[in-house]
Amino acid sequence: MTTMRITINGKAYGPTEIRDELSMNDYLREYLGLTGTKFGCGMAQCLSCAVIVDNPDGSSQTMPTCIVPAKNFAGKSIRTIEGHAQNGQPSVLQKAFVEHFSFQCGYCTAGFVNEGQVLLERLAKKPVARADLDKTIQEALNGHICRCTGYVKYHEAMRDVILADAKRYVS
Amino acid sequence: MELSRREFVKLMTSSGIALSVSHATFAQTPAFATRETLPGRQSWNPAATGVGRIDGLAKVTGAKLYASDFRAADLPGWPANTSHAMLIRATDATHVFTGIDLSRLSGALKPSRVVTAADLATAGIRVPAFYAQADLFCPVGKTPLYLGHPVALLIFEQFDAFDQARMALRDPSCVNYGQETGAVAIAPFGAYRFVRVAGSTPGAPDVYSPMQAGWVTPRRFLNMDLPVWAPANQKGPADAQASFYGEQIRAGLAANNPDQLVLDREFQTQSIDPMFLEPESGIAWYDPKSKSLELVVGVQSPMEATESVAYLLGNARGSFKPALIHTHCAYMGGGFGGRDHTTMPLYVALAAMFYPNRPVRLANNRYEQFQSGIKRHPFKMRSRMGVDRATGKIRAFAADHRLDGGGLANFSAQVATVGATAAIGMYDIPKVDVSTVVFHSRAVTAGSMRGYGTTQVLTALEVLIDEAAAALRLDPIEFRRRNALPTNGQTMAGNALIGVTRTDEVLAKLANHPIWQDRATERARALQQRAGILVGTGVACVNKDFGTGADACLASVEVSPEGRITIRSDAVEMGTAIGTALANRVAAIIGGVADEVAMAQVDAFAPLGLVTSGDPFSITQAAQDAASRNPRWVAEISSPSSASVGAHFSTHAAFEAARVIFRFGLWPAALDLWGIAKTDPRARQWDTARWQQRKLAIPGLPPLDLASVAAKAHARGGVTAAMVHGFNRWSWTNASFKIAGETYTADIDALAVRTGTGTAKARSGSTTSDRFVPLNRTSINIPPAINERIGVAYASTCGTLVRIEIERATGSVRIANAYSVAECGQPLVPEVVVGQMQGGFAMGVGQALLETMPLYEDGPGNGKWNLGEYVVPRATDMPLNGLEIEVLPPLKPDDPPKGMAEVVMIPVIPAILNAIYDATGHRFQSLPVTQAMLKGVLK
Repeated sequence: MTTMRITINGKAYGPTEIRDELSMNDYLREYLGLTGTKFGCGMAQCLSCAVIVDNPDGSSQTMPTCIVPAKNFAGKSIRTIEGHAQNGQPSVLQKAFVEHFSFQCGYCTAGFVNEGQVLLERLAKKPVARADLDKTIQEALNGHICRCTGYVKYHEAMRDVILADAKRYVS
Repeated sequence: MELSRREFVKLMTSSGIALSVSHATFAQTPAFATRETLPGRQSWNPAATGVGRIDGLAKVTGAKLYASDFRAADLPGWPANTSHAMLIRATDATHVFTGIDLSRLSGALKPSRVVTAADLATAGIRVPAFYAQADLFCPVGKTPLYLGHPVALLIFEQFDAFDQARMALRDPSCVNYGQETGAVAIAPFGAYRFVRVAGSTPGAPDVYSPMQAGWVTPRRFLNMDLPVWAPANQKGPADAQASFYGEQIRAGLAANNPDQLVLDREFQTQSIDPMFLEPESGIAWYDPKSKSLELVVGVQSPMEATESVAYLLGNARGSFKPALIHTHCAYMGGGFGGRDHTTMPLYVALAAMFYPNRPVRLANNRYEQFQSGIKRHPFKMRSRMGVDRATGKIRAFAADHRLDGGGLANFSAQVATVGATAAIGMYDIPKVDVSTVVFHSRAVTAGSMRGYGTTQVLTALEVLIDEAAAALRLDPIEFRRRNALPTNGQTMAGNALIGVTRTDEVLAKLANHPIWQDRATERARALQQRAGILVGTGVACVNKDFGTGADACLASVEVSPEGRITIRSDAVEMGTAIGTALANRVAAIIGGVADEVAMAQVDAFAPLGLVTSGDPFSITQAAQDAASRNPRWVAEISSPSSASVGAHFSTHAAFEAARVIFRFGLWPAALDLWGIAKTDPRARQWDTARWQQRKLAIPGLPPLDLASVAAKAHARGGVTAAMVHGFNRWSWTNASFKIAGETYTADIDALAVRTGTGTAKARSGSTTSDRFVPLNRTSINIPPAINERIGVAYASTCGTLVRIEIERATGSVRIANAYSVAECGQPLVPEVVVGQMQGGFAMGVGQALLETMPLYEDGPGNGKWNLGEYVVPRATDMPLNGLEIEVLPPLKPDDPPKGMAEVVMIPVIPAILNAIYDATGHRFQSLPVTQAMLKGVLK
C-alpha cells in the first residue's frame, strides 16, 4: 500500500491509501472521477491516457497513466485535460483544436491537448527553426493514435498556433 | 438540460415493459470539481459562427460525454457507489465447456455475484432474435459457439476487489474444457445470387433482373456452406431463370473468344477491427422499488438496444422483469459501425438485474474489445470480367464471394448483399452474375463496419479494372470513363441510380491532376536519381450507396419568441458531427444556428403517437397498405446511425420541421412585418426568401431579423415548433396535412405542430412536448414494397490518386502525396467533410498496408490482442502535408446533402495497390500488402 498525495491542476489530493498495483488511470477515473483522461488500450500505445507531469526544475513531459502505477506519481504535480481551460475559457491550443475541427469523436483529444501543450511550453524555452517545425510537431504527436481524423487537422492546428506566435516559438 | 428523477416519457411498450430513450445530458454543475473547466453551452458555441462543432468545447475540455466516463455518483438519483462487472470468455471453441475455476479469487477478491447460463435459465431470460444463434452464456456441457463466447459474469461490490480479481484471472485462463468436439457447425447466415441481363438496346427493359424477379437464394447447402442453386430453366421459377442466365454469362466468359479479354482472378481481404478508441462499456442500475432499469450506453442503435433489453427481460420471472427501461445514450468515442447492434447493452442490463439496487459498470479493456468487438468480414472473391477488345467496353462480369461471418450472424447477410450488389462498382455492365455466401465460424463475430462489404469488393474490382486497362493498353482513367454508368443507367439489380451521376467529373479531376499527369516523369526520375527507391502512382474511383433501404428519422425544431432555436433528433453522435450538421441544415431554413441540439432523443417524440409493425425490409405491399390506414403507423420508428445516413437521412426530419415552421410561422409573420397582404402575389413567394446573418430578405424590402420575425410568429399564434417523422425506402414517404386551412404536402409521414401562444411572454426553448398537437395525414404515399429489391439507389462518388515511394531494400512504403475528390451534394459542415475524407484516407491506408488479424485461435478471440499486435495508421503513415482533398460543389444551391462517410475510404485501398503495381510490376491480390510481402517480391 502507498499513501498517495498528489497535486492535480493546482489542487492537492490525498492522503489516500492505495494499492501499489493501482494504475494511475484508475486512480484518476475511479477514485477521483476525473474522466477527462481516457482509457484506450492499457499498453501505452494510443496515449489517450497521457497527462502532463510538471517537474520541480520547470520542465514538463507527458506520461501515460494506463500502465504506470499511481504510486509512481505520488508527490508529483500533474495537469490533466480538466486543468487547461481557466475560468471557463479554453486555452489557445484548445481553441485552435476546436476552430480547426481537429477532432471528430474526441476520445483522443485529451492526450493531444496535453502533448501539444508540453510542446508549446518546450518551444517557448527553446524555439525551433522554421525548417524543422513540421518534423518537431510530428515527433511530438506521433505517439498518439487517432482513428477518426487522419491526424492532418491536429497537425495543422498545432502549426498554426506556433506560427501565430512565431516570435515565441520559432527561431 | 438537467436530468432529474423525473417520470420518463413513455416511448412505447415492448414485451410488457415501458421503454424510453434519451440523450445522456446530466447536470452541468455537479458537486465535485471535475467539471470546473466545463464552460457549458452558454459561454461559447463555436458552431454559431461556423468555427467549430457544436460539441467542440465539451470535447476539448474533457467533459463527461462518453458511456465510459459515467459512474453512479454522476447520475442523479442513483446510489452513489459503482460496482464493477467482468465477463469471463471462452478462448476455446472446439471443446466442451465444463465450468470455471474461481478458486484463486478468495477472500476480498471473491466476487459478490457470479452469473452463468443456469442463472439466466432460472430467471427466464430470453435471447433477442438478432443474437439468438448462441446462448448469452455458454452453458456447461456445450461447446462455445465462437472464440470469446461469454461463459460467466462476475460482479464485485467494490472497485478494488474487481481490479485485483481481473489481474488474478489474467493468466492462466480460469475456464475449463473437456471433450474435443471440433467447432460447432450451424447453417450459413445468408446466401444470394444476383443476375442481370440488360435489354439488347439502351433503354430496353432488362431480359432478367433482381428488380423484376426478386432476390434469389440457394435451394439448399452442401456441407453446411456450399450453396446449391436451382437447376437452370429459362421458363422456370425466378431462381431457375437466374441460374439459366447466370450460367450463360459464365459460359460466355469461359469461351475462348479472341475478341474478348477475360480476366479471372481471386482476391482476398483480411479481418479488420474498427479500433474505435473508446472500448465498449455501460453502467446500469435496477431499482427494485420502482422496478425501473436505467442504462447508460454508447451505441449507434439506441432504439434497437432498448428494445433488445426489453425482449431479454420481457419474459423474466418475478424480480428479473422491470416495469420500465430507460436508456441514456452517451456520445461515442468512435463507432464506424462497430457499435451498431452489439451484445454489450444486453450484458450491461444483466449485470444490473442480477445485482439489484446497486449500479454496476461493465467495461471492456482493449484485450476484451479485440476479443469481442464486431469485426469487418474477410472476403474471398473469385471474379471474372470480359472486355470487348475493340471497344474497351466491359461486356460481362461474374463473381463468387465467400465471407466468414464469425460466431453470431449480426449483419452478415446484409453485408453479403451490399457487397454483392456493389460488385460492379460504378460501371455499366450489361451481363452480371454475382453469388455470395456468408458462413458461420468460430471466429469473433463480424458485422457492420464502415464500407459494409464494399471496401472488399471494390478493392478487388478496381485492381481488376486496372489490370484490364493495362492488358488493353488503355489509359486506366479513360478505361473507367468508357465504362462508367451514366445518369439514369441501370444498376446490377435493375434499378436506376437516383440523381445525377458525377463520375465523369470525378474522373476528369483525377485525369487532370498533376499527380496523374506527372506519373511517368516521377517514376523515371526516381529510377535515375534516387537509387533504391521505386516510385509508383495509382488511381481508383468508386461509388458507394448511402442508406439501408429502410431509414427512419425523427426530429423536432422549436423557435422561441427571442429567436432561440432548439433541435432534437434521434440520431447519435460518434464523431460525425451530426449535431452540427443538423444545426446547419436547419439554419438555412429558419435563419440561425441552433442554440441547443440534443441527440438520441428517441423518447422526445411521444406527441406523434407513432406505431409500427412488420419488418420494413420485407413487409408485403398488402400488409403495408393495410397498416398505413392508421394515421399513426410508420414503417419504422427510428433507425440506427450507420450506413452514411447522417447527412441525407438523419437531418431530413429536422429540415422538414424547419420548413413547416418557416412556411406557417415565420413567413406569415414576416409578411405582417413587411405589410404584405395575403392577396399580394409575393405572399406565396416564400421560395424567393433568403436568410443572411440571421436576417430574412426578399428583393425590394428591408431585411428582418430572426428575433423580430420569431416574436411576431409567436404573437400571431403561428407555428413556432414542429415535430416530424420521415421514412425512406429509396425514396421518401410523402404525405399531406391540413395546416392553417391549407393542404401541405411534404416528404414526411407524421407531423405535430405547436403554435405561439399569442403573447410575447410565451414559453421559450421548452423542454417538454406536451403542447405539440399531432395532425392526421390526409393522404400517404409510402415507397412500394418492391423497392426492397433495390441494391444501390443513392450513391456518392469518390476518386483517389496516390503516389508512393517504396524502399527496395526494406519494402517499406511511404505515401508521398495523394489526392481525393468526392461529391456529396450540399456539404452541411464542409470542414467535417474534409476531416472525414482525411480520416477515411487513413483508414484506407490501414486496410491496404497494415491491419490484419488471424481469424481463429491465434487471433483476437484468444484475448491476447492489443495495439502491439494490431497495427493502425499513425501520423507518420500519412502524407500530412501532401494530402489534397477536394469536394465538388453541389450541382444546385438547394441540392440535398448526400452520405459520404464510407465512400471516401474505399478508393484509397485499390489506389495504393495499383500504385504498388506501377512501382514494382507486381499485382497483389490480397490485403494487406505488408512490408514483408513487398520485400519478398523486390528481391
